[in-house]
This record gives sequence, C-alpha cells and structure tokens, in this order.
Amino acid sequence: MSNLWKTSLLAAVVAILGLFALGLNNDPRNIPSPLIGRLATPFSAPALDNGPPISLESLRGRWVLVNFWGSWCGSCRLEHPYLMQLATMTRNRPDFVMIGVDFKDTRSGAQQFLQTLGDPGYRQVFDPDQHIAIDWGVYGAPETYLLDPAGTIRYKQVGPLFNGWFEKIALPLMEKKT
Amino acid sequence: MRLQSLMLACVFYMVFQGIALASEQKEDPTEASVRSIAQSLRCAVCQNQSVYESNSDLAKDMLGVIRTKVAKGETEGAIRDYFFQRYGDYIYLEPTTHGGNSMLWIGPFVALLVGGVALLSALKKWRRSPQAPSVPVKTDAFHQRLKEEMEKMDA
Repeated sequence: MSNLWKTSLLAAVVAILGLFALGLNNDPRNIPSPLIGRLATPFSAPALDNGPPISLESLRGRWVLVNFWGSWCGSCRLEHPYLMQLATMTRNRPDFVMIGVDFKDTRSGAQQFLQTLGDPGYRQVFDPDQHIAIDWGVYGAPETYLLDPAGTIRYKQVGPLFNGWFEKIALPLMEKKT
Repeated sequence: MRLQSLMLACVFYMVFQGIALASEQKEDPTEASVRSIAQSLRCAVCQNQSVYESNSDLAKDMLGVIRTKVAKGETEGAIRDYFFQRYGDYIYLEPTTHGGNSMLWIGPFVALLVGGVALLSALKKWRRSPQAPSVPVKTDAFHQRLKEEMEKMDA
C-alpha cells in the first residue's frame, strides 16, 4: 500500500513538472496555425504594380511561397535581403514560384520600399485593407506560407525567413512530396 | 437670485433630458450582432482585448470583415467559425469546452475525487492502526526475551 502511495505521488509530481516544462516553452505570442494541411483560400487580387490581377489558382502545379509583408514592418526590412537572394537562387526552378502580398500598406509606401531595398522580381499582390491577410489567418508581418502544387498549406513561418530557410525547411518538404 | 436658480434648474432639465434621449436611441440591429461577435473574438495582437475593444489595425479590419459578413446575412456561428478556422482556439476569448479542452474543465473535479477517496481511505487506516495487535505482540516478545535473559544471568 505504502509503495503504491509513493509511486502515485511521484507520478503526480512528475506529471505536474512536465506540464510546467511544456508551458514554459509555450510562446503566448505565437499563435499556432490551424491552416497547416488545409487548402489555401484562393484569391484573385490587384497587383502592386497595377498590372493584371494575380490569381493564386494560376500558380497551381508548383510549390508557391507566399510572403506577407508591408513597408511599415521593420522585420520585413531585415528579411528583404534573404528574399532577394532566394528569388535569384530559385529563378530557374520550374517547380517553385514566389509571390508577395503587401498588406495594410499604401502603393507609394510599398513602391518606395522596393526601390530602396531592391525589387526581388516576383509578383506582388496589393491588399490595402488586409482582407486576404485575415482570410489567411495572418496576424503580423512578415509571415510566409509554403503551398504544395495542389494548393495545400504545408508550412507557415511567423517572423522573418532566415538564411538557409529554403534548404532547411522548404526543400525537405518539397523532396518528400515530389 | 431667483432668476439664477431658475436658470440652473433649466440647465439641469436640459442635461437630463439629453441623457434620457441618448439612452433611448435604438442601435441598428445588425450593429448589435456585429458587436456580440466582435466581443467574443480575441484580438490577435493584443492578447487580452476583444476585437471590438481593440484599437489595433488588425482588430479594426477584422471588425470590417465581420460587418461585411453580417451585412451579407451570414449567421453569428458561421462568422465565429470563419475566424476559428483561420486563427484556431486562440481567437475565442472564452475557449471552447469540447475536444481536448474539456479535460481542463473535468480534470480538476476528477483530481478532487481521486484525492478525496485517497484521503478517506488514509483516514480509515490511521483510525484503525492504534488497536492493531502486532505492536503489543512485539513488546511481549521483547519482554519475554528480556525476562529469559535476565533469568539466564541470574542462574
């Protein structure tokens, strides 16, 4: 009997400590996305450069990286060099395409951002009242989604993409599938 | 003096009349349902405020989305679900009580029950133990042995 008591007490203490440890690693500002593994909401939206509207459906069949940003966002500035590098690096890949969604922004602000920091060359959607962003469960910037050729969301990066992100996160996912 | 008090009375009357009028003003029914939805949703960037109370840009635009959807005739449940699909459990100020979350509701009571049963059985055991016969037997044996040894020494 006394042994049963001791083991159950020990188990309870360990369980509580375990829960604490789990809780400590939980960042309350990071909202886990329920969208992983689901089909991304399609959109057809105006382009930042006033060109023809951009439709997500037209990109099906390739892996699509969708980067949500705004010229008002400081971390987007930090991230920008990597996006430039990634765009150049993947330009010749037939299975991968990048687009940007400039949200909660002004055209002039965004264009100035691209003029000063460089234009990565891929197409940019303009979403001034962040309807697309809300539709995609975005709550900050930058946020980046990786979609597989079927249009399913496979990964969400909250915060800037880091050096080597493509090799570390995107490639393993892409190689598993294709 | 009399004139002054009369004027004061007039001013009071006007003020209260104004308050009464303001409170009587009916709210647009669609706005009421917008408010009830927005108050149940948590602002994604300000943790402890509802979408209705928050001044953040995201919350304001969410409010705009809610307004458009209400105007389109979508039900409250459908709109709440729209945000739940995109932001998950986080988005409800009052978390759901089903699924894994139900453990948080039931767990404490289960723990209380288990603890109560354990305490009860422990109390029962403690009450019984003073009359347990094993202790006197032991001392008897001890005394017996002592007596024997003493006798041996005497002999």
